[in-house]
Amino acid sequence: MASVELKNISKRYGSVQVISNLDLFVEEGSFCALLGPSGCGKSTLLRMIAGLEAITEGQAFIGGNEVTNTPPAKRRVAMVFQSYALYPHLTVRGNICFSMSLAGMPKAAQNERADQVAKMLQLEPLMERRPAQLSGGQRQRVAIGRALVRDPEVFLFDEPLSNLDALLRVQMRLELAKLHQDLKTTMIYVTHDQVEAMTLADKIVVLDKGRISQAGTPLELYNFPANRFVASFIGSPAMNFLPATAESVNGETMKVNFAGDTSMTLQTRNSGSPAGSNKLEVGIRPEHVHLVDPDSSQTTIKGKTTIVEQLGNTTFVYVDTPSGPMIVEGDGSLQIAPGTNVGLQFEPKRAHVFGADGMVI
Amino acid sequence: MSALTLDDRAAGAHVAVADPSNWNRIKQLDRIGLFITVMTVVVAVFWAFPIYWALVTSFKPEQDVVRPGIELWPERFTFEAYTFTLFQTKIGIWYLNSIVTSLVVTFLVITMSAAAGYAISQLEFPGRKLLWWLILASFMIPIPALIVNHFVLMSQFKLINTWAGVILPQLIAPVTVMIYKQFFDSVPKDFREAAVIDGATELQLLFRLYLPMNWGITTALSIIAFIGAWNQFLWPFLVTTSENMFNVTVGITQVTDAFGVKYARQLATAILAGLPVALIYLIFQRKVTQAIMLTAGIKG
Repeated sequence: MASVELKNISKRYGSVQVISNLDLFVEEGSFCALLGPSGCGKSTLLRMIAGLEAITEGQAFIGGNEVTNTPPAKRRVAMVFQSYALYPHLTVRGNICFSMSLAGMPKAAQNERADQVAKMLQLEPLMERRPAQLSGGQRQRVAIGRALVRDPEVFLFDEPLSNLDALLRVQMRLELAKLHQDLKTTMIYVTHDQVEAMTLADKIVVLDKGRISQAGTPLELYNFPANRFVASFIGSPAMNFLPATAESVNGETMKVNFAGDTSMTLQTRNSGSPAGSNKLEVGIRPEHVHLVDPDSSQTTIKGKTTIVEQLGNTTFVYVDTPSGPMIVEGDGSLQIAPGTNVGLQFEPKRAHVFGADGMVI
Repeated sequence: MSALTLDDRAAGAHVAVADPSNWNRIKQLDRIGLFITVMTVVVAVFWAFPIYWALVTSFKPEQDVVRPGIELWPERFTFEAYTFTLFQTKIGIWYLNSIVTSLVVTFLVITMSAAAGYAISQLEFPGRKLLWWLILASFMIPIPALIVNHFVLMSQFKLINTWAGVILPQLIAPVTVMIYKQFFDSVPKDFREAAVIDGATELQLLFRLYLPMNWGITTALSIIAFIGAWNQFLWPFLVTTSENMFNVTVGITQVTDAFGVKYARQLATAILAGLPVALIYLIFQRKVTQAIMLTAGIKG
């Protein structure tokens, strides 16, 4: 296993800037997820680490050695593609042995190694089948097997679960987590699915328009988003955002006014004062908003329920408020009818204040 | 509920058939179908008649061949034309020449076209587009237009009456390059990238990934290249003057004697010349059809 470091990396296609002056350090043995919406440059970044895309500017290091201009095969990385990219004319064994065969390894040694990997991934009964005869999950395991057999320093995954159905995705997610626990190899995983990133990674790098929006542990990103983009991208259902204005700032607390003549005092995280404009947005996750009696003193903002979704273990209540629609997450036993007037109580310590530039205050 | 639906459908079908306008439509379609079938059979007979005529003539004695009138079935059967061709000509050497030159042409055309198609499809190098346009442009020049140049060139290289002289000008196959490029273009780039990460060189990518993944097209193109090379007449006829270097197609011209053209012998030789190709066609019928469709620009 090896660390991966990118220093001041940029990628341009003609005049289009895809990655801009990006710095990233992935510690050896860690599981790092590159998370972001489509087109944010996460796959390009992964392909630059793999050596499949040339780096326009900057340097890349794997295990402390510069690999900026090193061919992909010599970087000691293995990649699992979204499409799996299993060679259709070869059997599972042929696919797993392909890299060893190219390297001229003796047939017996190839088979021995392939059998070890097959045992680890439970591929033994499938070794003589062709990719077309395998299910999605089996193909995925073969793709991982093909990567494993190379004994790489770094595993690169490019949205490997996105072609699987929901149930299989959960199963494969667990298998990947177990694989990382067993191998302890550095893994870099590209996904646009925040659940995958949150459950698998010990470090998440959120990308937005070719720049790192925030990097940290899953809970850091969830509990302390650095900006509105991260706050909105992480968490399902998404965070509620309410337009507000700053009334007064007192040290690390700030009093904000919402539409409908309501206000609350919040704890700020950084400067404590809005930059430039006092137009703010208050973000609060659905589970940090509670339904209370509208006339209660605990009420932060009043509203009327519109839709109630009961999922068994949890209930989502959609509420129209003077500041806009909000989602409230209650427990599974919550009983409330659409059209009910309710009061919403915010947990002040869990609310985030974002300035006009989108950065957390 | 489902039974009701089935009943409804059955009732609907019954109504549809019972409707007189539908009956008329079906009858009209039947008549059109019958007409098309008859026309196809007529065209097939028309097309096959020369082959039948050649076959029948080759079993006639020479005197009967030149007799006036149309004789659709031989009055007298004889194998004289075949025994003459097989035992009194150099058809064995002609076959050998045809086999060697056709196999070498096929192998080289396929290998070079695959490599060229791969390079144009997958590699980045200066002049790639120009090269592609040149190949496309060369497709528009009929090979017979170059035949004098080829002859002069082969003569200067002292390759007249050699296998190399027969083979070299036949290696110009822009269509094969175009088909390979088209197929290699359609291979998803993930395969290439996975193999590159696995450590494949460009040659390994071509021979261990792109060609095996397009094995069907290689088989089809090989068959059509072989048939094309086997049936070549004009160029081997020009470039070979020694009877020992003739291809079997050129050999057909050699079965005359001092008394002039011998039709039965010529047709017997022609049938013997076409026999291997006919056998190949029968064995690989589907692949040949696929290849013809490909060269006509229809991706099968």
